[in-house]
Amino acid sequence: MTMTESPPTEAAESTEPAGAVPGGLYDVLTTSDHKAIGRIWLRLGLLLLAGVAVLGVLVALEDTSADGIDVFGGANAAWQMNGLYSFSLVLLVVPALTIGLATTVVPMQVGSSNIAFPRAAAAAAWGFMVGAAIMVISVFAGGGWGALDGVSGGEADAIELTLLGMGMVASSVLLASVCLATTVLSLRTPGMGLTKTPLFAWSILVTTSVWILTLPVLIANLIVIVVDLRGGPLLFGAPEGSTMIYDQLAWILEQPAVFVLGIPVLGIIGSIVPVVAGSRHITHAGLMAAIGVAGLLAIGGWSQPAFSDQRDELLFVAFGLLAVMPVLASLALNSLPLAKAGVPPGPPPAQLLGALGAGLLLLLGAAAGALRVIDPLELIGTNADAGVGHLVAFAAVVGLAAGMWFWAPKIGGHQLSNVLGLGVMLDFMGAGLLMGAAHLLIGFDFAGGLNDAMLWVVFFGAILATLGALGVSAAARRNEGEAGDDPWVATRLSGPLPRQFQRATSSVLSPASPQKPRCSTPPKRATATREGSPHDRHRPPASTSAAASAHRPRWDTVRVGCLCDGLLRCLGAVPVASG
Amino acid sequence: MFTTGFKFYFGLAVALVLSAVVYGYATGGEHVGPVTWGWKGGVGDHVGYTMLMAGGVVASAVSFVIVAFRDADPSAQAHYLGVDEIVPTASVTGSYWPVVAAFGAGIGLLGLVLTPVLFVGGIVACSIAAIEWMMDAWADRATGDASANAALRDRVMAPFEIPVAATLTVAVIVLAGSRIFLNASKNGAVLWAALIAIAIFGIGILYAAKPKMNRNVVAGLVLTCGLAVIAGGIVAGVDGEREFHHHVPHGDDHGDDSHAEDDHSE
Repeated sequence: MTMTESPPTEAAESTEPAGAVPGGLYDVLTTSDHKAIGRIWLRLGLLLLAGVAVLGVLVALEDTSADGIDVFGGANAAWQMNGLYSFSLVLLVVPALTIGLATTVVPMQVGSSNIAFPRAAAAAAWGFMVGAAIMVISVFAGGGWGALDGVSGGEADAIELTLLGMGMVASSVLLASVCLATTVLSLRTPGMGLTKTPLFAWSILVTTSVWILTLPVLIANLIVIVVDLRGGPLLFGAPEGSTMIYDQLAWILEQPAVFVLGIPVLGIIGSIVPVVAGSRHITHAGLMAAIGVAGLLAIGGWSQPAFSDQRDELLFVAFGLLAVMPVLASLALNSLPLAKAGVPPGPPPAQLLGALGAGLLLLLGAAAGALRVIDPLELIGTNADAGVGHLVAFAAVVGLAAGMWFWAPKIGGHQLSNVLGLGVMLDFMGAGLLMGAAHLLIGFDFAGGLNDAMLWVVFFGAILATLGALGVSAAARRNEGEAGDDPWVATRLSGPLPRQFQRATSSVLSPASPQKPRCSTPPKRATATREGSPHDRHRPPASTSAAASAHRPRWDTVRVGCLCDGLLRCLGAVPVASG
Repeated sequence: MFTTGFKFYFGLAVALVLSAVVYGYATGGEHVGPVTWGWKGGVGDHVGYTMLMAGGVVASAVSFVIVAFRDADPSAQAHYLGVDEIVPTASVTGSYWPVVAAFGAGIGLLGLVLTPVLFVGGIVACSIAAIEWMMDAWADRATGDASANAALRDRVMAPFEIPVAATLTVAVIVLAGSRIFLNASKNGAVLWAALIAIAIFGIGILYAAKPKMNRNVVAGLVLTCGLAVIAGGIVAGVDGEREFHHHVPHGDDHGDDSHAEDDHSE
């Protein structure tokens, strides 16, 4: 019953050096340190991002229908690859990067020495890796999400494997979500109420809560389809040719469900802007509310057109229209510190450019989503679906890249190149904008040759995405200066905190940044910070604590002792000790 | 006094009971039936009402148990121990079992589609990982001393782990070796057996001659040889056995050697 345990009152001893970069294979395979697990997720996410970006180029080239180009050798294979691209972007790339960044940063932000259930977090990372491998390989083996020309015997097995791999991926994301949500809920340092949680940690709590509500629905969908395929098939993948499997699962790629990918972006913007601007938000609670509302509007398990098409009903339209509001509110509240700070000289920090670019892409995605639900425009079921998906997914990619640059010292122990960072952010922003806008315009189905031109725009957007993915990988390998202030002290609070909590801790702690933060209070060293932390108020005298730890009885002996004590007291056999 | 656990379960109980009452009235409950468990009037839909009310009762019971036994109440435990505060025990140690569980689940999924053998293998791997994981979690919290915890865990689990691991290793090596021998020609089998024996003997001699040799080197050698045998066994198993010709000796239809084999693969 870990959820009932009290938050850590001091840094627990760790058998692994805090933040040590795992050296050999043994360390990587057995790690239970949140930073090492986070790096596994991030590496996996970057690898998948590169693969998906290359696949995106091929899919876009196939879609251009240029003379003599048949990239995949047939319409069915092209359709399968399109499905792989879409599901990989939404279900593999963005969740892996989000969970990786969150697993690394969130425990530090809430003042915990580790993530909740660290072994489960490690199992989630490995499970995700195995599931993703099964899903991707099975598609190349003839699987996928149905078939245009009917499902044959061998294909049915491969399709089952695709679906089971997808289920394993969803289960792993679900498991990681439970770990992250529990970390934010139960392992906050004393004195940090939920309303004082840093914005990124709060956005991760909201995101993981939405995943916990949404992904079981996806898993249930997958189970239904697999059972049908094994027992029949009666419905999905029927011999006469069917795309019903894709249709059944496509809700995870569309609004409102796809908006869950954008929620961490709001938290990242809220973390980066005040540090770079050197000025606090005027209302922390307002930003938290905006993120919470965005999460509420991203719950999407209910809008499955395959069961009953609710996409013309009031609730669906309201979800689509209202989704713009929290993004707009969040951007407006974040723009105030920047307006106060003015335009700094020199090139902007990559993380700031990425954060603002991600915010704008997300706003465009929400606006495109609002257009999509307007019935007379007849955009639902057209390329506009992909337009909204691309805008939101690339907003997430840009935002997460900005987060990686911002928290790089805590992730890898060194700074990342600002120049490369600017290039990467611009690449991803361009990719998201080109692909999203082009798909949206195709959805409007204008007359003339505009659609063909837009398909080439999508192709160039995909090339930009590939360049961005390569840029991130290149930047991650370059050390642009060691991080200062010992970023591996896991118990140190990270990121700008609300005013009340700053008063309690007597300092503002921000991660080392390539640009010196223009905060009036300079960052203090970790040792000085710990002295003024609220931990001290709860820490017993050293002699008592040392004596207790030197001859500490077994934990279960204590529990059994308390249990017996409680029972005997209930029975009246032992008088209640006075004092 | 009221811990987080109590608040959670008590809140859950209140929510479930209220839901049951609302559901009861919404589905045709009469008079005070839904609030009196059907004593005066109907409760509406029996299934939904019973599930919600039962959930409420269970959550309520759990919440009171938590309070009665002072579960997860650090102040109560500190009072029992006579100290000001319980110092948290060491954090979670590294473990292979999450990886084993993840790969076991993956193998199980593959087996669900491809072959039952893989499915059973995946289930076995997951079951072993679950037991080991549980014991690791228990040992991590046993005392505040990490080395004592490790010793405690080994004392409980080693009597099971070593025989099972040895049996599994021997079984896999024998199975893989037998596939290799059955696949190779008659003389080839002899050659393979000699090579395997030399490898085992060689590693033994090396370790005996240099007992202080780096353990990673020894582990690497053993692992490489083991993987080579297993890989060879898989390849040979897929390729199939060599041809065996069964024949009945002339003039003795009922002889004991009626199953004699003749190998023509030399």
